[in-house]
Amino acid sequence: MISDRVKASLKREFYQSRAAQVGLALVVIITLMAVFAPMIAPHDPTTQRVGTGDTAELTDLPPISPVPGHEFVGTREQSIVNETTGEFRNVQVEVPANASHPLGTNERGQDILSRVIYGARVSMLVGILGAALAAIVGVPYGLVAGYFGGRLDDGLMRIGDVMLAFPSLVLAIALIGVFRDSGFHTTDLPDPFVAAAQADAIPNILIPRSGHVATMPEATTFPVTVTLVVALVNWVWFARIARGEALSIRAEEYVTAARGLGASNTTILRQHILPNAITPIIVLATIQVAFIILLEASLSFLGFSGTNLTWGADIQQGRNGLSSGKWWVSTMPGLAIVLAVVGVNLLGDWLRDALDPGIQGESGGV
Amino acid sequence: MQYGRFLLRRVVHSVFVIWGAATVVFMLRFLTPGDPVTALAPPDAGDEVRAALERRLGLDDPIHIQYFDYITDLMVGDFGKSMEVLDRSVLDWIFWTRFLRSVELAISATVVAIVIAIPLGVISARRRHTVSDYSATLFSLGGISTPNFWLGLMLILLIAVPVGFIPTGTPGPLLHEAVGDLLAGDPGTLGDWLRFMLLPAITLGTYFTALLTRLTRSGMLEEIGKAYVKATRAKGLPETLTMYRHVLRNTLIPIVTILGLQLGTLIGGAIITETVFEWNGLGQLLIERINARDWTMIQGIVIIIAIGFVTINTIVDLLYAYLDPRVMDE
Repeated sequence: MISDRVKASLKREFYQSRAAQVGLALVVIITLMAVFAPMIAPHDPTTQRVGTGDTAELTDLPPISPVPGHEFVGTREQSIVNETTGEFRNVQVEVPANASHPLGTNERGQDILSRVIYGARVSMLVGILGAALAAIVGVPYGLVAGYFGGRLDDGLMRIGDVMLAFPSLVLAIALIGVFRDSGFHTTDLPDPFVAAAQADAIPNILIPRSGHVATMPEATTFPVTVTLVVALVNWVWFARIARGEALSIRAEEYVTAARGLGASNTTILRQHILPNAITPIIVLATIQVAFIILLEASLSFLGFSGTNLTWGADIQQGRNGLSSGKWWVSTMPGLAIVLAVVGVNLLGDWLRDALDPGIQGESGGV
Repeated sequence: MQYGRFLLRRVVHSVFVIWGAATVVFMLRFLTPGDPVTALAPPDAGDEVRAALERRLGLDDPIHIQYFDYITDLMVGDFGKSMEVLDRSVLDWIFWTRFLRSVELAISATVVAIVIAIPLGVISARRRHTVSDYSATLFSLGGISTPNFWLGLMLILLIAVPVGFIPTGTPGPLLHEAVGDLLAGDPGTLGDWLRFMLLPAITLGTYFTALLTRLTRSGMLEEIGKAYVKATRAKGLPETLTMYRHVLRNTLIPIVTILGLQLGTLIGGAIITETVFEWNGLGQLLIERINARDWTMIQGIVIIIAIGFVTINTIVDLLYAYLDPRVMDE
């Protein structure tokens, strides 16, 4: 499917463009982080350390400063009880940073670095699956509309125009409002690494840090509704691009030739139109992944995703601490979102420049 | 003549789209789990109470009658009534100030974007491959990649908290009040308006600024290569005049359409920005009503936003075709 010419062009652009290298590196790092989260994360991201039971209190720890001697210092309110009189007073005590929590902890004592690493799972999964679903619906829809043209095209694209009458976030919020009470709002995806480490199925030597992995969460909560909804509000962009491509490709001589040789419409669509329309679709899909990551973050910030272990939800959680000096709780997951989206956007620019300098990447999508 | 036909076609098309959107919104009701009567009626309500409620909500009619009523109500500007607070109409709840607040926010953000992005894009294109170009490119990449709710929180953290003024909670004055006070000789209200507007407008405007910078830069670069630029330079027109009077003008025309399409992002962004700054507008109301599971209100707000969105897009298209008649052939 990928011709040598395309490969050469991708390679050339990649070696020339520093931006493309940075983008690919970011996306690879974040994807690896998402896949191998149980091995990389230093702590269980859900464990609360509020000082009850056998856990020590480790709430609101500030992160470690990258510059030694300039440690970030957090404060926490504590009661000091006089041993003889029983009187107590509340004082602000300074909290030292803790090397085992490099990005600090939140008000429940959960490790922020671990939560950022696990948060990548939901973001990347929703981003990629959402864009893929949107493409699966939108591309055939647009190809059929553009290829057959006429009344069918008019009808199909009018339906698309109706979808575009809603700003995507507004439609997404309304649809989630409808579906979030249903049984499939979220589903638990078991973590294969944790399951393997616990069951001793594979020799533990094959799983790095298997003892540590076995203590990690057994499942990741995956927001099904959010994924379906982001696909539902974005498929139209794929339909529009695919239609435009099909409209121009169907006039090509090789399509006329194929028809003259007796090829059926299905064959022509599959063997001639789709392969020649695929480049702009791939570029759009990349931009859409970036857009969907942002959309998912917005939805989970608003509390609509049904899971707490996402970047957006963590930003919401740290919001109250902003005015009382606990700046790190919201800042860290936000930086993760920015890095992920910058990476995907740079990747999109690279693909666009290498594959098809003719498309206006900024205008499609979003 | 040709423009008249284009105008007619465009208006008919947008009426069709609004009708389709209304139909989609009407169907949302049937997707919602649980029926509204059960949600509203007291748990021990008898059949009579339930029947009365059903009649009150207009749910005892067959679906096609309900649909017909819904569409005809919309045509006369009746967007329905709340389900939670009975007899309170959608328009009553939205009331004018909420609507104005959202519109003011959106317009301020757009102004911020235009004021910053166009000079930035022009500079970036003229001084290609210099430090200023790279900084502008980096800024626009960051701008389109930053979630605006996080940006808003960071602005609160880095600017509002140290300054000691956090523009959340109490809503600031409206622009027409501020202008009224200014005319009466009191500039204080305008100062308040600016204080409350500054951070939300930057928050909402950054994505647009970044996008507009990108578009201006690439559009200018494409345009600079054209023959007429050489001609204006050859006849001795100062470079700045060439850039702003000729190149930028031609660059802006296609950008307007893209911005029209991106308006949806602006509206969506406004909802989030309103949540971050507790801005008492349409978006915050939508979130609040969703959490109250007040379906008729949600339908009303969604359809009002859709109508506004489609109308503005149609106006943008009509303006665009007027400025550049070539698009009418497409």
